[in-house]
Amino acid sequence: MKVLVAVKRVIDYNVKIRVKADNTGVETANVKMSMNPFDEIAVEEAIRMKEKGAATEVIAFSAGPAQCQETIRTALAMGADRGVLVQTDAELQPLAVAKLLKAVVDKEQPGLVIVGKQAIDDDSNQTGQMLAALLGWSVGTFANKLNVADGSVEVKREVDGGLENIKIKMPAVITTDLRLNEPRYASLPNIMKAKKKPIETLAPDALGVDVAPRLKTLKVEEPPKRKAGIKVKTVAELVEKLRNEAGVI
Amino acid sequence: MSDFVEKLRAIVGDKGLITDEQGKHPYVTDWRESFVGNALAVVRPANTREVADVVRLCAAEKVSVVPQGGNTGLVGGGIPQEKGREIVLSLNRMTRITDIDPIGYTMTVEAGVILKTIQETAAAHDRLFPLSLAAEGSCSIGGNLSTNAGGVQVLHYGNARQLVLGLEVVTPQGEIWNGLRALKKDNTGYDLRDLYLGAEGTLGIITRAVLKLWPKPKDVATAWVAVPSPEAAVALLSGAHAASEDNVTSCELMGRQGIDLVLQHIPGATDPLSGRHDWYVLFEWSSTRARREGANAGGLREKMEAYLGEAMEQGLVLDATIAQNETQARALWALRENHTEASKKEGPSVKHDISVAVSKIPAFVTEGLAAMRKALPECRPVTFGHVGDGNLHFNCQAPAGWDKARFLPHAHAVNAAVYDLVVSYGGSISAEHGIGLLKVDELAHYRSKVEIDTMRTIKRALDPQNLMNPGKIVRV
Repeated sequence: MKVLVAVKRVIDYNVKIRVKADNTGVETANVKMSMNPFDEIAVEEAIRMKEKGAATEVIAFSAGPAQCQETIRTALAMGADRGVLVQTDAELQPLAVAKLLKAVVDKEQPGLVIVGKQAIDDDSNQTGQMLAALLGWSVGTFANKLNVADGSVEVKREVDGGLENIKIKMPAVITTDLRLNEPRYASLPNIMKAKKKPIETLAPDALGVDVAPRLKTLKVEEPPKRKAGIKVKTVAELVEKLRNEAGVI
Repeated sequence: MSDFVEKLRAIVGDKGLITDEQGKHPYVTDWRESFVGNALAVVRPANTREVADVVRLCAAEKVSVVPQGGNTGLVGGGIPQEKGREIVLSLNRMTRITDIDPIGYTMTVEAGVILKTIQETAAAHDRLFPLSLAAEGSCSIGGNLSTNAGGVQVLHYGNARQLVLGLEVVTPQGEIWNGLRALKKDNTGYDLRDLYLGAEGTLGIITRAVLKLWPKPKDVATAWVAVPSPEAAVALLSGAHAASEDNVTSCELMGRQGIDLVLQHIPGATDPLSGRHDWYVLFEWSSTRARREGANAGGLREKMEAYLGEAMEQGLVLDATIAQNETQARALWALRENHTEASKKEGPSVKHDISVAVSKIPAFVTEGLAAMRKALPECRPVTFGHVGDGNLHFNCQAPAGWDKARFLPHAHAVNAAVYDLVVSYGGSISAEHGIGLLKVDELAHYRSKVEIDTMRTIKRALDPQNLMNPGKIVRV
């Protein structure tokens, strides 16, 4: 069974985000870029499946500018076998990415597609679900634990208030949650091997996908600054403020 | 004595004075709980003028003054002695950054500013203040300068001494010397600034400083490397200067014992490599040149991969990982930074903050481990440190299950074994931690009479009443 994982190039989790002065987006010039952390978890899970013999090949997919090659290289260094890059400088929204993924799925015929539950830049949480709908496949979102057996996959899902166990038929789309696994460090020998692994580059046109944005961003703004707190003198004053100002008791 | 306390109160107010035992406790105890002293009061002035007034009062009343910053020192330099005829003068209310000049690459700060705040302020202006050490979230710049702190980037940027242009100092007589000169060149007689830097508050109190800034690195590559021996680590570093185009900013060596302590005691710590190895190097290369994009995409990480790949073929490297994102880089650094914390949780230890020439490190480690085991066969050596500076924390963890009472009687023999060897290698018995109370006898023993006498002459000339942090560095 082939497993396809999607990896997105995003601003590194630890970078302090700055909004551009003209409010059209966030500053990305000279900013450290890394793989979306939820996608790292997806790659790790796919590699573990291969190590356990549940998968035969792990393919890392990315879509975006040429630099996404680096993100795919990271997946290859972790242990993925080969990469597919749909190269475009166009702005990509979740629906476009889901259509591109569908086109690659049609070509590669994987048994499972594993994607991060969301990307930490736009926080959309849509691509996996849209892909499953386009393919007409089962979907297991917010996976905390996966178990593949006999043409189906058991998914322990992180839901409000606890965990939910479901069993879905394969082929299926899985979206990863934070506690599914802890991604490995890429070892130097694997980093060197990854340089020789193939990355196929495709254009959206060649896949017959129109990636034009369907949503328009009106404005990007900084969140409001937190106001400084005050010190209260007595418990009575605290209670009074909680009741009358904050309205929480 | 209550009269004296009231006079202090008149200067610094209620906010600046602590006299109850519970309140004083954190100021008279060091972080490792190795030293517990007594103080008449803890005084926390709000500005330089108040510092000067307090010192002048103390000079008149013949009360000793122990200056203190973040109280993260490892040799008791900021802790009062047990007699109790001393005050602790804490700079921890003096936390203003009074000027930042990104064009001129300088920042002017009060002594109590936390090191991390300085780093973050510099970063917000696209600049770097390169001093970086494990205690950076708690230590303050006044203490860093007074101890000429080292840390993990000395290799590239130098010690604290090299990171400062000017100082403001309150003298033992309570006068204010304004040497806040942001000058690169200033040959005007004896260098007073260099005299106060590293003096551990025995010659005066640093109250403000003009710090040097650097351009902020735009490309950083971090690697965790298993090496077969300290020889291999030194050879790897030696070649890395050219391979990185002179961009090696950190090179830290660690033995397996320390890693095991960190994995055992620090929640969330994981081993980045699959196998167990005896020695590890944490490498950081950083450049102010941003990664190239487009056809020839790349930067330091690619250079590092190529260099470590070749080193692996030559057998200098057994295994390695290169951080793929900032989260991994921080996790690798945490393994190194948490050594001291993990050692404290494991139990008692003696620390040897030593330095020898970089090229002599391998031979020193071999002989030093043998010497330590000869002095105490059951001891557990924990070796880590800034191999790029020739500076190792050549520590000795107490045998498993031993408490302080059982272990400390052996400490002297272990110390003597290590320090004798250091001196025979032409090294230093305190590379970056200073002398404080802990190493006064050792300093007097291992340094020449002329060196100690010259220090005493300086101390007596500047502080004839011996009221500034008495008993630290040299006894007069």
